[in-house]
Amino acid sequence: MAEKIKLYDTSKCTGCRACQLACKQWNALPAGQTYNTGTYQNPPDLQSNTWMLIRFQEMSNGNGDVKWLFRKDACMHCTDAACIKVCPSGALFRTKYGSVALDKDKCIGCKECISACPFDVPRYDPVTDKIAKCDLCFSRIDRGMEPSCVKACPTGALSFGDKDEMIARAHARVKELGGDANVYGDQFVGGTHMLYVLTEKPSVYDELPERPRVPLTVIAWKDWFKPLTLLAAGGVLAGSFIHYLTHGPKDTSGDDQAGGEGGE
Amino acid sequence: MIPKKGMIKSTDAFERLVHWWLAITCIILIITGLGMMFHSFNFLGTPLGGLKNLKLVHNFTGLLFAPALFFAILIWWREAGVFKMPEDLEWIKVAGGYLWHVDDVPETGKYNPGQKAFFLAVAIFGILMVASGLIMWFPLSLPSGLVQWMYPFHALGMLVIFPFVLVHIYLGTIGVPGSARAIFTGYVTRSWAEKQCPGWLKEMEKEGRLEIYGEEKEEAAHG
Repeated sequence: MAEKIKLYDTSKCTGCRACQLACKQWNALPAGQTYNTGTYQNPPDLQSNTWMLIRFQEMSNGNGDVKWLFRKDACMHCTDAACIKVCPSGALFRTKYGSVALDKDKCIGCKECISACPFDVPRYDPVTDKIAKCDLCFSRIDRGMEPSCVKACPTGALSFGDKDEMIARAHARVKELGGDANVYGDQFVGGTHMLYVLTEKPSVYDELPERPRVPLTVIAWKDWFKPLTLLAAGGVLAGSFIHYLTHGPKDTSGDDQAGGEGGE
Repeated sequence: MIPKKGMIKSTDAFERLVHWWLAITCIILIITGLGMMFHSFNFLGTPLGGLKNLKLVHNFTGLLFAPALFFAILIWWREAGVFKMPEDLEWIKVAGGYLWHVDDVPETGKYNPGQKAFFLAVAIFGILMVASGLIMWFPLSLPSGLVQWMYPFHALGMLVIFPFVLVHIYLGTIGVPGSARAIFTGYVTRSWAEKQCPGWLKEMEKEGRLEIYGEEKEEAAHG
């Protein structure tokens, strides 16, 4: 099965949030009470029941005009996914489409994925004591459908298809747009399965890491200390056994003193 | 393992209690920790009704481990927490005679440098485990930049403590016969004490504080 990519072209996004609603609808995520933060962005951030969100950002062009920057924030579905690396129960897993899905039954609510994610995506739901995030509509794509957000998009800002095709399409679009336009997602964390065509440099966007990477802490933890523990414990067991066979136990007996022999 | 007449008291009841309190909680923590560390050990959660319960057992056992660690440090830091130079260095140079044949192993006090290293590893990394573990339990209440570091620290603690515990178990049982009774009954044979803690034995005898099984504790009472 070929890997799939969801491509989001910011230049075509009008911030209508049909995708945001479709996501809630398909995944049966009720809206919660929200509050006004002085922007159209609503809710203010990703939540355990808001797996994707259009971020609204006002940008001055320098001569008094303001333009909107929209960004669809959701799981990027990294190939080199830190969340999968740290998940102790295997609840977070890679699908055959390359996306990162969640087996809720397995989630133990440890929250380890939260600080591991370079994009700050997973959210904890205290009611269910489980984590929640976009799974690229696994229930849909596994039946040959496109994710609900893509389905709902009226402007063509979202598209879904085979990995190579989507990457090619993204780069072609960037070429067409020119200027600061760039492809975001194929150059780090092994390539993401949500790809952006950004009209501005990544640094311009709120809450968007310029150089996302699997945190060093996760690498030290899972790639160094974890295998070393196994190696050290195994080495010590084998070493003790060999020590016992070759060097032998220490002779602590003595027949010259009372209680010296035959205590056991 | 009832002590025999003439055996020497090496640990008191409180020391043994703290040792086993620490040991049992530590072993439970290691086993449940392994269950969450490796997917291939996830099955360890099954008897408890799932990995979530395993996590709860791990966390609450950690709360029991902490006071045991506190008492352990309180009891043993004087005897096992401070290296005595240059004797200890000499002992280290010949690895205490544990790895190759050494004619004259430098005399040690109650605990040799190897045991001191184990004590210090458990004390230092134990504190690190408790601190990082508590933060990992409530990660959302602190900045994720800080929380992030707790996981590798916790893993590092496991890397140090787990193999050390295995060595400790080996040397406390079949590796050095006669040791285990020190921590079960509190009494060791005189020949064991002469080989394992000659310095301590001499000091105790000199001060007349040695307690010998089956003999009146008059010396101890005077001391």
